[in-house]
Amino acid sequence: MLLKFVARRLLASVIVVLGVTAVTLILMDRTRGAYVPGIDLNPALRPEDIARLRANLGLDEPFYQWYLSWLWNVLHGDFGRSMIDGSPVITHILERLPNTLELTLTAIVLGILLSVPLGVIGALRRGSKSDHALTVFSVGGFAIPQFWLGLMLILVFSVTFQHLGWPWLPSGGVTSPFGGGDLGDRLLHLILPATVLSLFYLSLWSRFTRSSMLEVLSQDYVRTARAKGMSERRVVYLHGLRNALIPLVTLVGLELPGLVSGGLIVEVVFSWPGLGRLAFERALQYDYTTVMGVVFFTTLLVVAGNLLADILYAILDPRIRYA
Amino acid sequence: MLDPTSLPEIELPGSPFEGDTSRPAQSFWNESWERLRANRIGVAAGVLILILALIAIAAPIFSLVLTHFDPTRQHLIDNFRPPGHPYLLGTDELGRDTLTRLIYGGRVTLGVASLTVVLSLTLGTTVGLLAGYYGRWLDDLLMRIVDVFLAIPAIFLFILMSILFRPNAFTLAAIIASVGWGGVARLVRGEVLSVKQRDFILATRSVGAKDLRLIVRHLLPNVLPILIVAASLGVGQIILIEAALDFLGLGIQPPTPSWGNMLTNAESYFFHSGWLVVFPGVTIFITVLASNLFGNAVRDAFDPRLK
Amino acid sequence: MTTPLLDVQDLRTVFDTKEGTVKAVDGVSFQLEAGETLGIVGESGCGKSVTALSIMRLQRPGRIVSGKVQLKGRDITKVSDAEMREIRGQEIAMIFQDPMTSMNPVFRTGWQVAEPLLLHQGLTKVKAMARAVGLLGKVGIPAPATRAQDYPHQFSGGMRQRAMIAMGLTTAPQVLIADEPTTALDVTIQAQILDLLRNVNKEFGTATILITHNLGVVAGMCERTIVMYAGKIVESGPTTEVFAHPKHPYTWSLLRSMPRLDDELHQPLNAIEGLPPSLVDLPSGCAFHPRCQFKIERCSRDVPRLNLVGDNQLAACWVTQGGAELKRG
Repeated sequence: MLLKFVARRLLASVIVVLGVTAVTLILMDRTRGAYVPGIDLNPALRPEDIARLRANLGLDEPFYQWYLSWLWNVLHGDFGRSMIDGSPVITHILERLPNTLELTLTAIVLGILLSVPLGVIGALRRGSKSDHALTVFSVGGFAIPQFWLGLMLILVFSVTFQHLGWPWLPSGGVTSPFGGGDLGDRLLHLILPATVLSLFYLSLWSRFTRSSMLEVLSQDYVRTARAKGMSERRVVYLHGLRNALIPLVTLVGLELPGLVSGGLIVEVVFSWPGLGRLAFERALQYDYTTVMGVVFFTTLLVVAGNLLADILYAILDPRIRYA
Repeated sequence: MLDPTSLPEIELPGSPFEGDTSRPAQSFWNESWERLRANRIGVAAGVLILILALIAIAAPIFSLVLTHFDPTRQHLIDNFRPPGHPYLLGTDELGRDTLTRLIYGGRVTLGVASLTVVLSLTLGTTVGLLAGYYGRWLDDLLMRIVDVFLAIPAIFLFILMSILFRPNAFTLAAIIASVGWGGVARLVRGEVLSVKQRDFILATRSVGAKDLRLIVRHLLPNVLPILIVAASLGVGQIILIEAALDFLGLGIQPPTPSWGNMLTNAESYFFHSGWLVVFPGVTIFITVLASNLFGNAVRDAFDPRLK
Repeated sequence: MTTPLLDVQDLRTVFDTKEGTVKAVDGVSFQLEAGETLGIVGESGCGKSVTALSIMRLQRPGRIVSGKVQLKGRDITKVSDAEMREIRGQEIAMIFQDPMTSMNPVFRTGWQVAEPLLLHQGLTKVKAMARAVGLLGKVGIPAPATRAQDYPHQFSGGMRQRAMIAMGLTTAPQVLIADEPTTALDVTIQAQILDLLRNVNKEFGTATILITHNLGVVAGMCERTIVMYAGKIVESGPTTEVFAHPKHPYTWSLLRSMPRLDDELHQPLNAIEGLPPSLVDLPSGCAFHPRCQFKIERCSRDVPRLNLVGDNQLAACWVTQGGAELKRG
């Protein structure tokens, strides 16, 4: 019964989310005691004021009370307020979320668009120099530290090019989000970070496509296709590729939960205004509430995403409902 | 009815194979080890890692012999020197010798990585064994906890934890392991579930073996290959994470050198001292590459699922 | 004498392996007349499939090292790739053993059957599908129009094989090569498929080469039979003759190894002793001699050639060359 399956998975997800809240709040409990709200704005706060501010934020309540009121707030969409300026965390999150998605989705699309041809070439020219080059490239791509690659690309394409008087790519600081700014400028800013981010996917997926393609090409139905007298191109791209791409779809799907968090390092290196960079910046300023809000929000997205994926699979494949 | 004594003598055809066709029996470990040894790239990578580890462990000796410098020794007059003599790989903005710092940094990075592996394997295996063996409510409970830790995006958890707990090498390892153990637990539990079905478990139980003995002496050895494979494949990623956290300033703090934090400010010095950016990054790259290649070789040799 | 439809002359195909060069097809020659049914029989690994694939030039990774394959007088081992592609699927069609794995799982069956028409005869999709549906009906698939929209996994084994046969026939080829068409099927379905092939041959006049290891299949279906062993033809002739008077010890042993209804009770089975030889390291002289009951001294020295041993029968054996009969020894 599909309904029973959905109910069970939903319950499991809720439990996990509650567990996450418990873990994160237990961690956060450490910060409650010492924090003095507003201290950086006004170092000369009197003890009474401090006490009042703390009481307002409920920082001295027993843990369970604090936990429950926090949970209550979250259910109403209030993810807390920044410890720096009191602004609602959710506002910052929603502001930055589209930027992150823009970056990671671009990287994934780029990854797919490049992996498939590379994988196919590797399979068709198995054992050749280009195939070996592909293997070396993907093994190497996996080993490069993302932040270092980002740095190097900036240093080459941004700093050096500019220095040499050649057309150069911007190193960071996208000007304005969708509505306002210039699309071309935004794309220009997107190139380097998306490239760095996509390298990871590229290394992984190109090898996978290659082995999937090799397996497909050894299948009987490929032999039948050749026996029908069609061009090798048609055999490979019509009959072969379609089958080889199916497992790749699953693999890409596995990356979707990481959509909001995967770009953090790239966001920081390229000053891309996304969720990851938000968390990082606020972390450096010890703005615990914001960081926690981001952590919780992204976890919610991951759990929701997994739940959706499970339900989708159950709809597509009836056998799963009884698992 | 056939009378067994009245059947004619049946002569079996002679075997077409001449000579001794038997092979000495080989244990799983021997066989896997042989396979690993035959993989030349894997062996080369493994040797490289061994060398790196040796340099890391014996860092003071190496730096004494090679460079004569202390990693935190500042000599401002000599800052930004290019690679040459006596600073073999140049110096940074405070006149500290790059090569020495790389050597000591290896200590940090490899040390944290090993510790992380040990922690996540230990915790993950314990949880996985218990959950898989005892099943039912314990399994549900433990796996829910694992789900919780796996649901939180790793990098965010790292950031959160590193501002909550001042990271030194040990806490950093604990932080990174806090996500990894979940995957290990799931893996181990899966193996246990499949091994549990096999008859030898039933047989051992029927001779009165206690749970602990069963778990440690019978389940654990069967789970070991999977662990070895998982560990070897994961080390590369752990090194990259550790380096990234150091780079962001959330990990090992200066003046203790680590490959990651050597790059934190290097960007601004690129123009005149490009080596400051290149050397640490290349070092990370080579180390991770070697451990990935070695991990692949280990997996090809030891993974029972590939047999 | 008219030119035979298909004339294979001294075909040799090899595979290069680590252990050496495998002579999969080692000097095979035979002819196929229009509308004829020919059976090629032999154990696994004797080279019968590779022969068929070589005719289609689908033998890769093997190589055709010498020989000719004349289709209506034209040597197709020498034509260009593009020309061969025209021939494949249109003049010579081949169907394979396992219809489940031989059909593409992501395309609808009707479309796969129609594809040769799209490729070779430039029909529109609509026309091609119509022909395909008609053909599916002809091969005995009920409700062909609906079934054409189904995917291969939705068919039963027998129906799938019928669909494969339809796929081979869409372009009305002159030659149909069927490689073990019944091996993957239940025995009861086997008979139906063979009936179908027989009807197809009668109705369409398609010359059929049936490749199998099953003597029973050949007996029911083929006018002529070729027996292969270790890459060579060891015997060929009209099926009735070959079965009644086998002139090669291998054929003789094969026939004897089949249990018969009129055998005595408790009679032990007559297996052929030994194993097929390694194609990298063939025995000296006649490849069958190590397992042969009738061998004479010459057999281990000289490789026998096909010789006329009856009206239309050829056998490659020193012993029977002079007209000797093989009797229970």
